[in-house]
Amino acid sequence: MNADDPKKLELGRPEPVAERWTVPIWLIVVFGLLFYWGQVFLAENAGGFSRDVYSPYRSDEQVAMANPQDPGAKLRAEGLRIFTATCSACHQASGLGVSGQFPPLVGSEWVQAPGANRIAHIVLYGLSGPITVKGQPFNNTMLAWGGTYNDDQIAAVLTYIRSQWDNKASPVTADVVKAARAENHSGYETSDELLKIPVQ
Amino acid sequence: MNSGPVLFVGLLAAMACSWTGFVLAPQMQLGDLTQTNTVPVGDTLPQNYPLARPGEAHGGAEIYRANGCASCHTEMVRSGNLGSDLQRGWGARRSLAEDYLFEQPVMLGLQRIGPDLANFGRRSDTNGIYLRLYDPRLITPGSVMPPYRFLFETRKIGLFPAHDAVVLPDKDAPPAGYEIVPRPEARALAAYLLSLRQDGYLYEAPPPPQLQAKTNAVSTNGVPTNAAPAAAKPAVK
Amino acid sequence: MLTLFGSALVWLLIASLLGLINSLKFHAPGFLAAQPYLSYGRVHAAENAAFLYGFGVQAAVGLGLWLLCRLGRTILAGPACVFIGAVFWNTAVTLGTAAILCGQSTGYDSFEMPAWCVPLLFAAFLMLGICAMLTFHQRQPGRLYPSQWFVVGSLFWFPWIFSTAALTLLCVPARGVLQATNAWWYAHNFNTVFLGFAGLASTFYFIPKLLSRPLHSHYQAALAFWTLALFGSCGGIPDGAPVPSWIISLSVVGTVLTAIPILTVATNFYQTVQRDLNALDADPTLRFTYVGLFFWIIASAQQIVGALPTVSAISDFTWFAAAQKELFHYGFFAMTIFGALYYIVPRLLGLESSAWCPKFLKLHFWFTFLGVLIAYLSLIVAGVGQGILLSNAGNSFVDVMRRTMMPLRMSTLGDLFVLVGIVLFLLNFAGVCRQACCMARKERV
Repeated sequence: MNADDPKKLELGRPEPVAERWTVPIWLIVVFGLLFYWGQVFLAENAGGFSRDVYSPYRSDEQVAMANPQDPGAKLRAEGLRIFTATCSACHQASGLGVSGQFPPLVGSEWVQAPGANRIAHIVLYGLSGPITVKGQPFNNTMLAWGGTYNDDQIAAVLTYIRSQWDNKASPVTADVVKAARAENHSGYETSDELLKIPVQ
Repeated sequence: MNSGPVLFVGLLAAMACSWTGFVLAPQMQLGDLTQTNTVPVGDTLPQNYPLARPGEAHGGAEIYRANGCASCHTEMVRSGNLGSDLQRGWGARRSLAEDYLFEQPVMLGLQRIGPDLANFGRRSDTNGIYLRLYDPRLITPGSVMPPYRFLFETRKIGLFPAHDAVVLPDKDAPPAGYEIVPRPEARALAAYLLSLRQDGYLYEAPPPPQLQAKTNAVSTNGVPTNAAPAAAKPAVK
Repeated sequence: MLTLFGSALVWLLIASLLGLINSLKFHAPGFLAAQPYLSYGRVHAAENAAFLYGFGVQAAVGLGLWLLCRLGRTILAGPACVFIGAVFWNTAVTLGTAAILCGQSTGYDSFEMPAWCVPLLFAAFLMLGICAMLTFHQRQPGRLYPSQWFVVGSLFWFPWIFSTAALTLLCVPARGVLQATNAWWYAHNFNTVFLGFAGLASTFYFIPKLLSRPLHSHYQAALAFWTLALFGSCGGIPDGAPVPSWIISLSVVGTVLTAIPILTVATNFYQTVQRDLNALDADPTLRFTYVGLFFWIIASAQQIVGALPTVSAISDFTWFAAAQKELFHYGFFAMTIFGALYYIVPRLLGLESSAWCPKFLKLHFWFTFLGVLIAYLSLIVAGVGQGILLSNAGNSFVDVMRRTMMPLRMSTLGDLFVLVGIVLFLLNFAGVCRQACCMARKERV
């Protein structure tokens, strides 16, 4: 062959060779099982490859849930949806209403009252007749929405108007609305009747 | 598989896989970490985190590195489901990537022959550190930590005793007229050890529910709820 | 090549000595603590550096060169270059280790060599590596044998991981905790892939050769090779690390999947050997190589077990990992190299295998084997005990350390045995070299 090749090394004992037996099937099966386990492990523990997920949390959602939640956020989000669909037609998306026609909600003493009882009544049973808001007189009819929305939804929209814009009032829970609905008033209410109801 | 080039390409591919997964991808995800805000608890406001080490502590990190302290001490607190780190009071929360933003080198350690030091600054003081460095068995009898007396010097008391002279019990005290004073290396190391704290909860390791309840309780007592911000995800840049 | 081997052995001796000193410090913490140069942390870093770079790389390269020559049926390309490279490497490691003892270690585990040392090491390795590649290139035509893949693999792997580590840790340091992940990745790759490949190259060569039997399966060897390269390189991140959980999960999956190469190698050799253990007594190389392989399987299996989250919650940062490292380094790698050297050195010097003093040989084997076993078992006991006790927050840290002192002190005995074994081997080695010198002088006369 290459007896003249100066780089060739002459050796005594033959060097080892490898036979060509194939990989046994059980090894392939084990490989497959381990691979499957690996996928499952990654799916459960890799946290979606997110940089915010450290153990013991397993997903971005878990981390978000474990962090301090803003209690009113969910309510306000639902409230915004209802407000945009229903209330903004008259009270405007800015909450400023229309001068002389629809009262503003921004800075309104009715909205920002310590308790939401009165405005729950307004939304549930509607309002008709003169009413003074922020020193301005209004005389119009607001429809009753108690039949359209349930207690949670009304609580949501009330929470929304009480915390949106410059308003800084507490959220409204569904029991307040439920209690107001239990009074089962029929027909529109007037401002004088409302003023007789306690605020809380 | 009989040719060199095939072998080379295959090896390169295998190396590229692990390199991408462990060097490149983490770099892309965590390489631009910056300071973030802590999640406020109770009356506290969000704070900037982490803060860079003050000067002397920076030098202390060099002493820590040079003497191989990381071969016995770790500097990372594990999460509650992986051991008793939190229950031992080694930290209020697990360690996160942001905690090591300003470390160079990052000496997380490999073994706990001694306790974890990630929050050592919260549970120790200068005197205690000097005593422990001089002779660990004075503070912890039975400890296997070696004494680091070469970080101190015994010298004659001058006009007044040094304010940071190490106060030892009688049987270890230096001869009369002499005092044991920490060298600059010991002072730097002490400053570094005292700067080891992982304060404040972060988005990835939020406060436990009982502390969050305290925060919410505060906010319904007159402060409107939308003034207590929900924890914000850390900014990317 | 002899330079490589000789100096590798000297470094092994130094590393063992440093390891023993550190082990003794657990009996008397004040031992040699008066001076900073011999304090525990520095000695630990120096021991690591001496073992990995002084012994590990040189032994791997020397073995690789020899195997490439043998299996390629060619002579070494550029022997002068190899010699110079070896001298460079040794100089760099000497300076680096001394610097570590003076406090200049980088602070990263397995990458302690100071920054100024790194270019020297890299240049030296480049010289050695280029000679190796030239040797490989000028091989005789024919099928490649698995050992050649492993050798080429190891010689390519080291510069890649070393340069990555040097770049991301020293030159352009990565931000924050990424330094730690890169350091862990580097250490894991160095051990599992680089040292693993080098040792397995020897195992794949010597077992079939000395049994005069063919290796059972070429394809199984190929599977083992590629899966070890792919999965063995993914790992090393401890479970409690302050990194997002996906990095840790990838590391766990990679480590567990190294079960594939372990099983493949085990079946391959089981079929090759086919229970023929008679040759064990006759041939020292086989003895060492079998034991080395056995320990490799155990150490790698332990690595897999230690990576699982349920286990690592208890075993992380305890002596458990130290035990695995000890078994891998001394039980697998050092023993495999010893076995290879018993075969290679006489042939390099033109002597026969009988040049070794049989008594020293036997003592060397038993001292090393028992030493590794004692050290490993006691460290495992210490580690598991420490982990279980620590997982209960009621046990104070000092209490736990006190209770694990006993097995820890036993491991010192193991370290001592290993050191004695190495000394015996070095004496034997010196004896063989002297014989060669005498013979050479006689022939000249």
